Amino acid sequence: MKAIRAQIPHRHPFLLVDRVVEREPGVRVLAEKLVSVNEPWFQGHFPERPIVPGVLMLEMLAQAAAFLEPEPITDRPIFLAQVVDARFKAPAFPGDRLELEVRPEASFGGLSRIQGTVICDGRTICTARLLLAKGAPEAKQEPRP
Amino acid sequence: MADLKRQVKEMIIQRLKLEGMTPEEIDDQAPLFGEGLGLDSIDALELVLGVEQAFGVKIEDEAAGLKAFRSVDALTDFIAESQAGSR
Repeated sequence: MKAIRAQIPHRHPFLLVDRVVEREPGVRVLAEKLVSVNEPWFQGHFPERPIVPGVLMLEMLAQAAAFLEPEPITDRPIFLAQVVDARFKAPAFPGDRLELEVRPEASFGGLSRIQGTVICDGRTICTARLLLAKGAPEAKQEPRP
Repeated sequence: MADLKRQVKEMIIQRLKLEGMTPEEIDDQAPLFGEGLGLDSIDALELVLGVEQAFGVKIEDEAAGLKAFRSVDALTDFIAESQAGSR
């Protein structure tokens, strides 16, 4: 958990990677997210029937993709630039252990495209291609005139 | 060369989903990015992949991309030269 916080700047309640299982920078990352009923979105999504919002699965894949980088990105943020062909085949619920698998497909000019898959109980529940843009190292913000 | 240029234009239209556009409507000399076709950096990655898959030519880095993506003419020349070089 400490190593995860050293790699990416996300924090509670928006840190959506709990464990990095396998990591080969530039090649493949397998991470895990353990869905807990006390996550804030379940209060409204939905009160009687908690379901992981689909967009958060894309965010989980994007956060997992940050571990493809050999260096920490804590002071050099990565932004989501495009989502291509996102498919949600089945919902995820509290108690689920989600496996997040990401592989890079191509990169050019500070942009990298990755293929991501969310697997639950051996079944693919979400696939998407994400385009990620590397930000410049964070400089001190100049006050606006 | 005219054939290759047409293929390049068709690839651009197909990869970037410029629906409703015909190869004739793309100016040979107009810049692909900014003015001209008005493409952005996200389109650039798509074009790099398109050039690689359709013509078997790799655009190695940003400098090569900057040169190749100046215009359709420049991209056609780049592909022709690279294909000739690898034979």
